[in-house]
Amino acid sequence: MNAHHRPSSEPILSATGIVNRFGKQVVHDNISLDVQAGEVLGIAGGSGTGKSVLLRTLTGLHRPNSGKVVLNGKPVESIGPAEKASMIGVLFQQGALFSSLSVAQNVMLPMREHTQLPVAEQEKIAAVKLELTGLSADSALKFPSQLSGGMIKRAALARALALDPRILFLDEPTSDLDPLTASGIDALIRQLNQGLGVTVVIVTHDLTTLFNVCDRVAMLVDKKIIVDTVDKLMHSKHPWIHDLLHSPRAEGAMHARKSSHGIG
Amino acid sequence: MALEGVLDIRSVEQARDALGLWLKQRKARALDVHKLSGLDTPGALFLCELRDKNVELTGVKPEHGVLLDLMGGLERKPLSKPKAISRWRDVVIRIGKGVDDMGHDTLDVITFIGRVVSTLAYVVMHPSRLRPASISRQIAETGINALPIVGLMAIMIAVVIGYQGVAQLRPYGGEDFTINLVAVSVLREMGVLITAIMVAGRSGAAFTAEIGVMKAREEIDALEVMGLDPMELLVMPRLIGLVITLPLLTLFADVMGLFGGAMISHSLLHVAPLQYLDRVREAVETRDLFVGLIKAPIFAFFISVVACMHGLRVRGSAESVGRETTRAVVKAIFLVIILDALFSVLFEKLGL
Repeated sequence: MNAHHRPSSEPILSATGIVNRFGKQVVHDNISLDVQAGEVLGIAGGSGTGKSVLLRTLTGLHRPNSGKVVLNGKPVESIGPAEKASMIGVLFQQGALFSSLSVAQNVMLPMREHTQLPVAEQEKIAAVKLELTGLSADSALKFPSQLSGGMIKRAALARALALDPRILFLDEPTSDLDPLTASGIDALIRQLNQGLGVTVVIVTHDLTTLFNVCDRVAMLVDKKIIVDTVDKLMHSKHPWIHDLLHSPRAEGAMHARKSSHGIG
Repeated sequence: MALEGVLDIRSVEQARDALGLWLKQRKARALDVHKLSGLDTPGALFLCELRDKNVELTGVKPEHGVLLDLMGGLERKPLSKPKAISRWRDVVIRIGKGVDDMGHDTLDVITFIGRVVSTLAYVVMHPSRLRPASISRQIAETGINALPIVGLMAIMIAVVIGYQGVAQLRPYGGEDFTINLVAVSVLREMGVLITAIMVAGRSGAAFTAEIGVMKAREEIDALEVMGLDPMELLVMPRLIGLVITLPLLTLFADVMGLFGGAMISHSLLHVAPLQYLDRVREAVETRDLFVGLIKAPIFAFFISVVACMHGLRVRGSAESVGRETTRAVVKAIFLVIILDALFSVLFEKLGL
């Protein structure tokens, strides 16, 4: 399905024995997860199953109660800020664009802080990143408050891509978007994955994204994690996974996938 | 000519410098890139620009080819630049906007005062519309919780005035009049002014932020859809609560200020507390106390009007809450001081 999918090689991101507890409530009970370079991995699960906590753990924003996360061969907490910025890019759920900066300034901020490129070059690169994510040159001057939901996601994606990270983490990239815009974002994720060869980890409960974009899906159920391709998960015995992938919405997403890829 | 190693955001400038001379030398050129071990978008962008200048790229690896094709397929339009405005024009535009905003602001305050007064009249005529539970919660939050800080500030202000008074009056042998100075200035001016400024910062900011967050989360709209009046439900309890609270806080500040005066008299002038009380009774009249206290409800009215108005002005985002809160506090303190100056003139004319 994907030219960059190389499951035999060393995983680019590997989490082992992750335990996350909040008070007495255990969210993750000894979870392990490997992300292969070049793949698109979806993380799915019901509300409150700790999808976002897992994402924060993988990116080193949240320190787990036990377990370790290794990013490109190094423990995530030991990676310096500049190196981390060039390793990972995160698209936050609400975009998290800096409201006092224009879209172009938002995209240029990581370059300004972490590279010695002249401003003219930074602008050129920012323009290309914005075009890659489907934003017009005029929107570069706009401020986040002047953007629509879909444009915010695209601008935030352009900022996440600013330093060409090896891994892109996307937190609910299609939530709050109309279906057409959401399909546009789905297509964009695939295009970036294939064109730039960037590894993508998507937290989502958008079934269309799971079916159409992800090479593998990690299902968070019962505080554990089950990772496989969607096709194999379709035959899973687990009641929640079965219900999710055979719900009316899943039928629709499945149908969309058949018609767009000719596979089934 | 050939490139090798990693061509990425860190090395691209180096490559550009290294190739600069070579690019100027000859016309027909080929660049061998088969030894490149890594390529990212800035690197690919650089290679695409070379290709645009008729440099032939040879030995492109398939995985780099995908990226090059992607970058080559883009329009690569430069970023739009903001329209440049000359500095003096910008100054004129800013002044114009500022004056225009000020005009609108004044109009808004007057309109809002009108709405507040009309709602207040309605609520007073229909006392069942008063919300005693809300009002008492506001009194607790704006009044009781503010007691420690207001008391401490009043004592400190009395100490400051006392020290200055002793220092200035001693050369004339009149340092005993420091007691008069402290007592009169605390009761007439400082007690109420310090309390009002403190409350404007503390409770005014709280009013704007509370109402502003409700506005940003569409809670105000929800109230209106349910047929509930935000003026009656949110603004009135805060206004009535503060109008009750501020005079009481001022009285407390007066007492604490006089207490601070006693402390300073004891330590600098060696006047015993009972003696101090006698001196204070001689120095001040009842009207000094009332001149101070009468201002408190009026300050309270304007502080809550300005704070609630800015809260209801919040539009959408969280940053707007912060901006309106700042404006509300600045405007409330400004109004308090302006009003205090007007009162001074008024009382002077009335001979109070």
